[in-house]
Amino acid sequence: MIDILLSNPGFIIILAGMLCALIPISEIRKFLVGAAPIAAAYMIFTAFKDAEAARTVISVGGQDMTLMRIDRLSMLWGYVFCLAGVLNAIYGLHEKCKLTDSSALIYMGAAVAGVFAGDFLTLFIFWELAALSSVMLVWKGGENAFPAGIRYLAIHVLSGVLLLAGAVMFARANGGDFTIQHVGLENKGGLLLLLAMGIKCGFPFLHNWIQDAYPKASITGTVILSAFTTKLALYALARCFAGEDILIYIGAIMTCFPVFFAVIENDLRRVLSYSLNNQLGFMVCGIGLGTQLAMNGVAAHLAADVIFKGLLFMSMGAVMLRTGTAKASELGGLFRSMPLTTVFCLIGAGSIAAFPLLSAFVTKSMIITAALYEHEWIVLAMLLFASAGVMEHSGIKVPYFTFFSHDSGKRVKEAPWNMLVAMGLASLLCIFFAFPWGGYQFLYSLLPYQDVHYEPYTGNHVVTQLQLLFAAMLAFAALKKWKVYPDERRAEILDFDWTYRRLGKNIVLWIDAMWTRLSANMSVIRGRFFDSAGKKLYNFFSPAGAMSASAPSGLSAVLTGGMLVVLFAVIYLSRL
Amino acid sequence: MDLLSSYPSWLITHGAALLIILPLLVGAITSVLPRERLAWIVTLIVTLICVVTSLGVLLDVYFNDAQLYKMGGWDPPHGISYIIDGLNTPLIFLICAMALLCTIYGLPSVAAEVEPKKRAPFYAAFLIGVAGLLGMVVTGDAFNVFVFLEVSSISTYVLVAMGASRDRRALKAAYNYLILGSIGATFFVIGLGFLYMETGTLNMADIGNILRDLDGGSRVSLVAFGFIVVGLGLKLAMFPLHMWLPGAYAHAPSFVTVFLASTATKAALYLLLRFIFMVFDPSFEYVITVVTYVLTALGCIAMLFGSLQAIFQTDARRTLAFSSIAQVGYMLLGVGMATGLGLAAGYLHLLNHAVIKAALFFALGAFWYRYGITRIDDFAGLGKMMPWTMGAFTLGGLSLIGVPFTAGFTSKLNLVEAALQRGWAWAAIVIVVASILAIIYIGRMLMAAYFQSPPEIDGEVVAKNEAPLMMLIPMWLLALLSIAIGVNADLVVEAAQGAADVLIGGGV
Amino acid sequence: MADDVTTDTHNQSDDLTHPLARKFLWLADEKVIQNFIWLPIIGLAVTIPLAFVYPFDEGHKAPWDFFASWAIIGFVAYSFVVLSAEPLFRLLSRKENYYGEEVEPEVIVAPKVEVHHHD
Repeated sequence: MIDILLSNPGFIIILAGMLCALIPISEIRKFLVGAAPIAAAYMIFTAFKDAEAARTVISVGGQDMTLMRIDRLSMLWGYVFCLAGVLNAIYGLHEKCKLTDSSALIYMGAAVAGVFAGDFLTLFIFWELAALSSVMLVWKGGENAFPAGIRYLAIHVLSGVLLLAGAVMFARANGGDFTIQHVGLENKGGLLLLLAMGIKCGFPFLHNWIQDAYPKASITGTVILSAFTTKLALYALARCFAGEDILIYIGAIMTCFPVFFAVIENDLRRVLSYSLNNQLGFMVCGIGLGTQLAMNGVAAHLAADVIFKGLLFMSMGAVMLRTGTAKASELGGLFRSMPLTTVFCLIGAGSIAAFPLLSAFVTKSMIITAALYEHEWIVLAMLLFASAGVMEHSGIKVPYFTFFSHDSGKRVKEAPWNMLVAMGLASLLCIFFAFPWGGYQFLYSLLPYQDVHYEPYTGNHVVTQLQLLFAAMLAFAALKKWKVYPDERRAEILDFDWTYRRLGKNIVLWIDAMWTRLSANMSVIRGRFFDSAGKKLYNFFSPAGAMSASAPSGLSAVLTGGMLVVLFAVIYLSRL
Repeated sequence: MDLLSSYPSWLITHGAALLIILPLLVGAITSVLPRERLAWIVTLIVTLICVVTSLGVLLDVYFNDAQLYKMGGWDPPHGISYIIDGLNTPLIFLICAMALLCTIYGLPSVAAEVEPKKRAPFYAAFLIGVAGLLGMVVTGDAFNVFVFLEVSSISTYVLVAMGASRDRRALKAAYNYLILGSIGATFFVIGLGFLYMETGTLNMADIGNILRDLDGGSRVSLVAFGFIVVGLGLKLAMFPLHMWLPGAYAHAPSFVTVFLASTATKAALYLLLRFIFMVFDPSFEYVITVVTYVLTALGCIAMLFGSLQAIFQTDARRTLAFSSIAQVGYMLLGVGMATGLGLAAGYLHLLNHAVIKAALFFALGAFWYRYGITRIDDFAGLGKMMPWTMGAFTLGGLSLIGVPFTAGFTSKLNLVEAALQRGWAWAAIVIVVASILAIIYIGRMLMAAYFQSPPEIDGEVVAKNEAPLMMLIPMWLLALLSIAIGVNADLVVEAAQGAADVLIGGGV
Repeated sequence: MADDVTTDTHNQSDDLTHPLARKFLWLADEKVIQNFIWLPIIGLAVTIPLAFVYPFDEGHKAPWDFFASWAIIGFVAYSFVVLSAEPLFRLLSRKENYYGEEVEPEVIVAPKVEVHHHD
């Protein structure tokens, strides 16, 4: 039992989460929240023996389940999750909430365990566990969060069911082998698996749960949520669909479309959710390219993204904690009262925009270069366009409207010390990952493929990237000067979720209304048909009906005789 | 194996005889015991011994092999033999275990539902009924089957009638049951008479051998087959011979309902299996025709009609009674496939359904015990008034529907697989439709219990009043067991597979 | 959720300003804002000529790669995104309670203060 527990680093995090649910003392819980990811990271460190894949297999009901499979790919994901876990733990130190602590740990543990799962059944279990535990974090967000959480849960459970169905179909066609391996679309069940992972990854038209649930979750909840769910799906995608051509185009579209939504959205946490979607697009595209360079880029960008996106969500969370809102139209001028948060947010913004010396510069460029090497010109153009778009919504819009812009007149305290520490550490990491003297080399040494060489700091790369960013800033300044840069306005922006939140709901309501009207107006016809059918059923089956008439001993005796006759008839006919 | 080696060898060797003789003798004594508490303790001890013995027998068959016990040392076909094999040992254990759980449950329940002076005889009748059921299942002699069938039936009529102090309608139900049960038994014994005419022996294995030599025998054996199937069909509540069942289940004391629902029809179904596959043989044209067309058709009709009828009931017990008829339909469908998989699935559903239905009826008994509730309309707020009992009921209900990770799901899944393997896709559809109907009738009760608020009396909400522990223990044991089977069904599936192997393998 | 929100309409540089931020209040200065545009202009003025020093790798070059192409891409893409905001907003925006959700109060505690009026 113990060795099963110790087989997968995720299990001890889940265990710590369960313990947290029982511990009434906040300090002990906080210790566990911080210590569990560190312990898990240590376990990954000891479990990983170079390129050889370590495995733990148990048999449940005749089905082999690979609880632990570690290789360079899963190792990196595991480390990144643990790192995010520690940062989130520090960020959440001020909050005394048993539910958040335990569900955050279980959620994170499920994500880690899912990454190290070696077969689809184990993955399915943690896939669903991650969904179930994370919905608690959404629900902590208040009134609007509850229905959003229900939608979130429904979509994720659907994703899990699709995953299981796809896995079963794939395994059937594959001689009962549930091992997570390259699946590809041409195999049976591949489409279902892609759909399941696509939902969790936020593929276009399947992405709405991100922008629906994340901005409505609690302050710490959003930070925690942003790190794991989509990244777990990305891992599964990298395992099963690397090099699948369609992903290149899906990814490219994913990088572009959120840009347009982010620019008109007022809720800055929702802007960041679109930005999350956009960054995922880069990684999905890289998985689709599937070359060693691209996969390295995906892994590296994942590490960078978890940190800088976490940092941006953290800074918005700090602002929200102090001012009570994250709406661009209500904020502005906060650099006066939250200067440290401002600096951290700017570092995060610079990282996501890929300024040289900040993390995305050394990671995103790998994916873009891979697209260049493959001569995917259209895709490359879309990625460049999206890079400029990132500069707009995350690089400029988020810090500008929060900390500069018009002064909202809000004078608040600086963020609590623990948030500042978490943001500071994340900022340091953003710088470290791109540090030209030893920083990015360390990050690259953890990547799955060590044979490919990539040099981020070439003169041309630095120069062109700076051109792009400066030109974007010029456009911003010019548009601002000519007063064509739109002001932030409060509004609900429609996205594809309109189909189910409005259209679907209205169709149901319409059907309901029409049905009511129909029953009122056409009661005669309806009555004639349904009533008589219902009445007949009732007359036949109800306690007073023909089928249940009590005291039918006479009738039953006759029936028994009749039965015998029927039987004889059948027997007789069978002899003919 | 370790557990088995801790048994004294005589207990294993004579286990078959002990299982019948002990409750029969003690039952006779119990009827004259002066105090009900004493009668209860005696019953508890006897059922406990039976459980231990039957477990030993079960393990013995599992690890060693089937055995033939010769009563008084006389060899068959002259003497009476008892059979212990993979087909009947799971059922023997089921009957004994249910008897024990019912007895535990009976301490509060019987005290509430049966008149004080009738309680000692009640336990006596119960023990004799247990002996009868065990006898039906164990014996290898055809006439002996009839005798034990009558022993169990007569004691059951008495037990049902004892519900009269709670509900006067029990008398009418018992009378109904008596008439129809007697008709069934008569049909059965007429069939046996014909068989004796044809083969000149009453030993089941012997009859089987002779019939096989005769390649199915003359018209006499055809007639015998017809009578036996109809007679047993009545006992196992095969549609449309189920008329006695809802009344008996609804008005008998809760204790009896549980015991009847989980064992009596199952024992009759077991007899049907043994007669069809081991006394007669599916290789005979007339047998396979009846099995394939009549049993399957009746099974499917029972599944749909039983479920529909359950939906329209107002009384919770009647709902579950009609659901039982539908569940018998599932088992008959499995039998009707006449393949190894189908039989195993049917047998599996037999075992699972016994567990599920017993848990549900236990809960219904507790509802009556605390609040006098029998109608579904009165379920309102039960989720708050009796959370633990309702919890067990919910688990049982979900299992009956066949929600994943419950026993019901396991057996329905096996049935569907068997149907698909047989090439009967339509049967899979019927199973799914019947399950959807089950969602409706179970859902109705759960909705009322959880989504409506408890009734108010004089402006005050009815207080929470949980069932006594003696009721909760057996109820939860079974509810958890049904989940455990759903999570890992290996043991039960293996038992069902063993039973199917015996049937397909033929002969003792 | 919000604690210690103080709305200050008159005095920008009083005690409520964070001590670390005092030295940076010039960031809100009207002149600085007006002249911010020079920062990217100078940046471009440096990096575009530098592209001659560090040319594109001839082996791996997109069809559109020449010395100032990334600056043009950046400027055009950025402007396109921002300019598309207005029509998109008209098309897609609805009232905040469109989905029947609870909305935080519309009016802020005090009217907005335009920073550059202060001087």
